[in-house]
Amino acid sequence: MTESRTEFKLKTPPEDGISSVKFGPNSAQFLLVSSWDSTVRLYDVITNNMRLKYTHDRPVLDVCFQDAVHSYSGGLDNTLKMYDFNSNTETVVGTHDNAIRAVEYSPEVNGILTGSWDATAKLWDPRSPRCVGTYTQPDKVYTMSLCGEKFVVGTAGRKVYVWDLRNMGYVHQRRESSLKYQTRCIRCFPNRQGYVLSSIEGRVAVEYLDTSPDVQKRKYAFKCHRIKENGIENIYPVNAISFHTGYNTFATGGSDGYVNIWDGFNKKRLCQFHRYNASISSLCFSHDGTVLAIACCYMYELETPPENMPEDSVFIRYVTDQETKPKATNN
Amino acid sequence: MGRKKKKQSKPWCWYCNREFDDEKILIQHQKAKHFKCHICHKKLYTGPGLSIHCMQVHKETIDKVPNSLPNRSNIEIEIYGMEGIPPEDIKEHERQKQGKQIQGGRPGSPSSGEDEPAPKKAKPEGLLGNGPGPGGMMQGMMPPQGPMHHHSMAPMGQFGPSMGHHMMGPMGPPIGPPFMGPGMPMMGPMGNMGGPPQMNMGMNPGSNQPQQNKPLFPSAATAATTTASAPVGADFKPITSTVSTPIGPVKPTFPAYSTTSSSSSQSSTPVTSSSDTSQKVALINTTGASSKIIHPQEDISLEQVRARISKYERQAPVKTVDSSTSTPQPQVEEERRAVMPRYQPRPAMAVAAVPVSVAAIAPPVSSVTIMSPMAGPPIMRHAMHLGPPAAMLGGNMNMMRPPPMGLPPGLIGALPPGAMHHYAAPHMAFPGPPMLTPMMHPRFR
Repeated sequence: MTESRTEFKLKTPPEDGISSVKFGPNSAQFLLVSSWDSTVRLYDVITNNMRLKYTHDRPVLDVCFQDAVHSYSGGLDNTLKMYDFNSNTETVVGTHDNAIRAVEYSPEVNGILTGSWDATAKLWDPRSPRCVGTYTQPDKVYTMSLCGEKFVVGTAGRKVYVWDLRNMGYVHQRRESSLKYQTRCIRCFPNRQGYVLSSIEGRVAVEYLDTSPDVQKRKYAFKCHRIKENGIENIYPVNAISFHTGYNTFATGGSDGYVNIWDGFNKKRLCQFHRYNASISSLCFSHDGTVLAIACCYMYELETPPENMPEDSVFIRYVTDQETKPKATNN
Repeated sequence: MGRKKKKQSKPWCWYCNREFDDEKILIQHQKAKHFKCHICHKKLYTGPGLSIHCMQVHKETIDKVPNSLPNRSNIEIEIYGMEGIPPEDIKEHERQKQGKQIQGGRPGSPSSGEDEPAPKKAKPEGLLGNGPGPGGMMQGMMPPQGPMHHHSMAPMGQFGPSMGHHMMGPMGPPIGPPFMGPGMPMMGPMGNMGGPPQMNMGMNPGSNQPQQNKPLFPSAATAATTTASAPVGADFKPITSTVSTPIGPVKPTFPAYSTTSSSSSQSSTPVTSSSDTSQKVALINTTGASSKIIHPQEDISLEQVRARISKYERQAPVKTVDSSTSTPQPQVEEERRAVMPRYQPRPAMAVAAVPVSVAAIAPPVSSVTIMSPMAGPPIMRHAMHLGPPAAMLGGNMNMMRPPPMGLPPGLIGALPPGAMHHYAAPHMAFPGPPMLTPMMHPRFR
């Protein structure tokens, strides 16, 4: 793999698989990385060094920034932790009955949302901090995303629940994934019109929240992250999606080791990066869309693990408009 | 004699062995298929040209010519149309063609007219199959060893692949999304759609043109027109039906997904089978006739699979960081029991002018106003501290300033200056930022 000016690897990466990478809300400088080595690390990507690290008792599955100096993380230890970068203190905020798979911060309600394999989502008040609501989901939560006040939860069994943070008293929409296979990742369009859902079967669906037929007509799905080898087409899970907040384009990362950037509204692929040495487990655009963090590690897709375990690494890639901006015309 | 001459003069693409009627078209093909930069889509003129472009412009190395046959992927050979093809490959090509001609001469019809339709049929497949997708789907492509020749291919090439698709269609997704119908815009490589005509037979006869015209990304416009012309598009049916009941369960967009599975003997749908475990674990049929899903068979997430590995079992807590402000868990435990839609009012909220600490707390009516992006007066968020908006963009030191708690980035500018310090006091209760400045970790100074 050639290191170039546009892309570099983070130093002192986690010592095991990477479950999630997240940029801060207002800065492209700091990146949170949660890992199967039970740590959460904060990196300064400009100086390329690790600023701090804290641990959970078991692997961490997701992490998020609340603001520039607070992170929330959860994982197999069922525990939601808040960490304060300034004081270097951690606070156990609360627990789920099973592993916490997803952690998101909602600026709209100033709350932390967690989704768990105990088939619930919880809302936490960061100021107390404590749980202020538990919301039953149809099955184990695999992924969730926020879209303004809309809260989209993807679970096992291909269910998708859309909640409205303004009134969590009932489920706003109960949907089933348009894709036939297990839901892998859901991310909402920054323009709040809908979301993108990926499955384990190399396929991505673009969905709209507005239920009017005119809008629903625009939904579609497409295939990607497939590689044909020796007459057999290998179909890879699409593990990660991240939106460019400015352009509403999105990157997908698959177990094929590729990262593609798509223009969902014009149904175009904008670019594909080189193949990474392992599955892409997580992606995150910085708030301004200039930087893409790419987490790369083996994800136990294969029945027999590879002999040479690929290195767990996080790449920081400076992306250009050429790669992320919808093209005005066809060329 | 004349026929032989025609054969020889037919230009072909060294990279994918496709034949063309005209060298101009061949060059167009090469530029579009083999010399196009995958990053900026600029069409270069030769393989080395593409490689230099990628190196210089995008700082990426390209080691293979895109969409090329495995043995013809050399990026260093300079080929432009028919120019630059190694002489031995030309000879080999001729030889294979002639060999095929002799072999295939008997079963095929004697007229040279039969030469024409076959390549035409192959064309869309090649085009579709050769999309710029990852790995370039090669379904329906000519066999690597030689040019597709109509005579010999007739029994196998012409019917073989398409039959395959036809049969596999109902089996499900690995093959292609028959349910999508032609009106369903597809993004990305459509290689697996297989021969479009056969594919569409069952679904939506007679509207395969869009696929041929715009094989990679049929535009929304195309989709609209096709659906208009074929209003019975199976794909959108369920949506319209569920629209009337927005809160009810939304059915799968692509009903054929479910129907195909039931109608197929070799379905590749997730099959719910009672396995030996106490829980019913659904299985995914990961191997199809020509495809394999790189995923464990059990229909659980990769993380669940991984979590079962012994090394991730609960281990002795290794605390490298002191936790000074651990909240006792029991308290939280109680809360968890409450499966409730609303918050209980909390004293802290009374401090604030408006109880919007977490907007969901507020009864729906008031929260609607608060939450709506237009009406939501940022002043109401008493939870925020307003650090300088640029704080986080700056250097390390800035990061340590009192953070804009809960301040949505977009609202920074919108905030009336008066609101800035307003709520500093209420949060003393929160073990957060206000107290932090003095406690700053040395690392950050």
